[in-house]
Amino acid sequence: MVDFFIGLFLASLITALFTTRLYRLLNWYAFNSLTLGILALLIGTKLDDNAMLITGVVTIIIKAIGIPYFLKSFSQKFHFVRQIQPEIKVQYAIMLIPAILVFTFYLAEPITHMIANNSNYVAISISSLFLSLLLMMEHKNIAPKIVGFLSMENSLFLLGITATDGMPMLVELGIFFDLLMAIVVINLLFNREHEEELNND
Amino acid sequence: MIELLLLPALIIFGLSFVKSKKVHKLLAFASFLILLPTIALFELPKPYHLLGDYLVADTLNVYILFVSSIVGIGVALALLTLNKHVRVSRKAYRRFYRFFAIFWIGLIFSILSNNMGIYWIGLELATLSTVYMIKTNHSNAAHKEAWNYMIVGAIAISLILFGIILIYASAKPILGEDAMNFNLLLAHAKEIKSPFLFEIGFAIVSVGMFVKMGFFPMNLWLANIERASFYPVAALFSGILESAVIVGFFRFSKIAMEVNYDHLFTFVFIYAILTIFIVAFLIFRTKDFMRLFSLSGVEHMALIALFWVSGGTFAALLHFGAHAFLKPALFLSTGVLESQGKYKIAGALRGYTGKKGTLFWFLVSLFLLAVISLPPSPMFFSELYGFGAMIDTAKSSHHLLAMLGAIFLLLVLLSIIFYKFIDVYQSMKYEGKEYQKKVYASELIALMIFALGLVGLMLPSTLTYLKGI
Repeated sequence: MVDFFIGLFLASLITALFTTRLYRLLNWYAFNSLTLGILALLIGTKLDDNAMLITGVVTIIIKAIGIPYFLKSFSQKFHFVRQIQPEIKVQYAIMLIPAILVFTFYLAEPITHMIANNSNYVAISISSLFLSLLLMMEHKNIAPKIVGFLSMENSLFLLGITATDGMPMLVELGIFFDLLMAIVVINLLFNREHEEELNND
Repeated sequence: MIELLLLPALIIFGLSFVKSKKVHKLLAFASFLILLPTIALFELPKPYHLLGDYLVADTLNVYILFVSSIVGIGVALALLTLNKHVRVSRKAYRRFYRFFAIFWIGLIFSILSNNMGIYWIGLELATLSTVYMIKTNHSNAAHKEAWNYMIVGAIAISLILFGIILIYASAKPILGEDAMNFNLLLAHAKEIKSPFLFEIGFAIVSVGMFVKMGFFPMNLWLANIERASFYPVAALFSGILESAVIVGFFRFSKIAMEVNYDHLFTFVFIYAILTIFIVAFLIFRTKDFMRLFSLSGVEHMALIALFWVSGGTFAALLHFGAHAFLKPALFLSTGVLESQGKYKIAGALRGYTGKKGTLFWFLVSLFLLAVISLPPSPMFFSELYGFGAMIDTAKSSHHLLAMLGAIFLLLVLLSIIFYKFIDVYQSMKYEGKEYQKKVYASELIALMIFALGLVGLMLPSTLTYLKGI
């Protein structure tokens, strides 16, 4: 079951890389976060770790529901460009993504020997990190770049769950707090832009 | 005690919602309250547990917190006259203070943290709050750079988290959840079963920190951001944010020294020399104050990292203190030097009249000459001690000649920077047209606080304290 969801996690991120519409990208991000939350719940149940179960629930509430909802409302409020064409052409992306996957598996190989549990998941987390960076790089618009940053955070979260069997509860809650702060700052930045545009008009 | 440390920032945060004009003065004076708990921390026995094992005050972080607090006070004072030099709305002004308070809270947590996770959370909080401070300037460049900072800063901070997770994974088998604790990690560093995993984690953390400090290959991103934002933001970056980043580097590298000193030294040595090599030529080509001071800050941080890994703790900390006082002072003085957004270097030190004006150009001249390590600047002594530590390290290895060659190269690069600063100083003092410029009392007091801080660094008691760390 864990293997299935980790596959879905990676697949949703790869699909997000080919997405050309903003709302669809937000949906893929929400799905990616949902699989992450379910993974935390599954691994938490397996390890009998209550802290990870709480983290899983918080992940689903904040990342799979809250953040996509806020980003969607921001896009309506501030009139984001919803046609987001990646700068890297599809035919090149099709070659680049598997290359990144192979490269990161090769890169993570020495690390996976040192981690007792879920060692392959560590390699997937690292490849997700690279793919999230690619998502940030391949778009000129700011909204997909934000989604790329949030996906990168998801990848790190997956790494935390798999490589370390969960980070301390306080740290994970702190990371959630910072994520919410990031959303507040993003809102303020867009708000400012919007106000300036209105003033110019 | 932690409540007292956070109190000034909380007062500033609360007062920033008050719409009265008079509130600005209160905001500046509230910042002075930080001195009471910080001085009290010096007197308390170390390590002093502020919040269980999460926040612990020791000799190193109390010193860094004290230096950062003085910078915070100086910046809060200089903020009083921000609207006299640049166009800023009252609403944006109040928001600036609000985010300044959040920034301060984040950094107090980062600096005093004894836990990798809390350290990261504090740093992330400070990074995010800075984004809005950059955006207070309503220019297109500031808007672009605010987003740039958000994205690149997020990547840097994510790299740090990535490295922390790997370090935590390497130490969890022996320490359990306490593997996040810096002191415990240091005590059990030699028992880590996967040193390779730790070293990868450390390398990634360091790269994240180096990106945040503007090291190779990201030398210009910070300079561009500081150019685009209002001058107090640059002062906060160089005086406080970089302090929090470097204290993290000190803590992580202390553990890495125990795991494999040779690997750590080679990695940081190559990275720092490469950074200084590039920065020296970038400084030579700069045409405005902000970029000049910002790139000089990158050079100082690289030297601090180099001295620290060479075992020159005293040199690194003295250099750090001098950098933390000099750079914010210079950044704050650009508010007057560039009067109303003119970036001209020529004649920037001319046109000052009266006691305030004379004192201003005298202090700025002193800071400019001190920043290039002219004696009796603390930087002169820190560099002497730092190069001495590098030679001492090389003596115990078989690479003495290589080290001497590296020091010679560093001296050549530093002389390029020296030449540029002297050229800039002469241009400021003897070239260009003379325009009347106004200096306000609050910014002069801020500069005097920094000057006193520099003098304080050279006091025998301070030097003894630094040698004891």
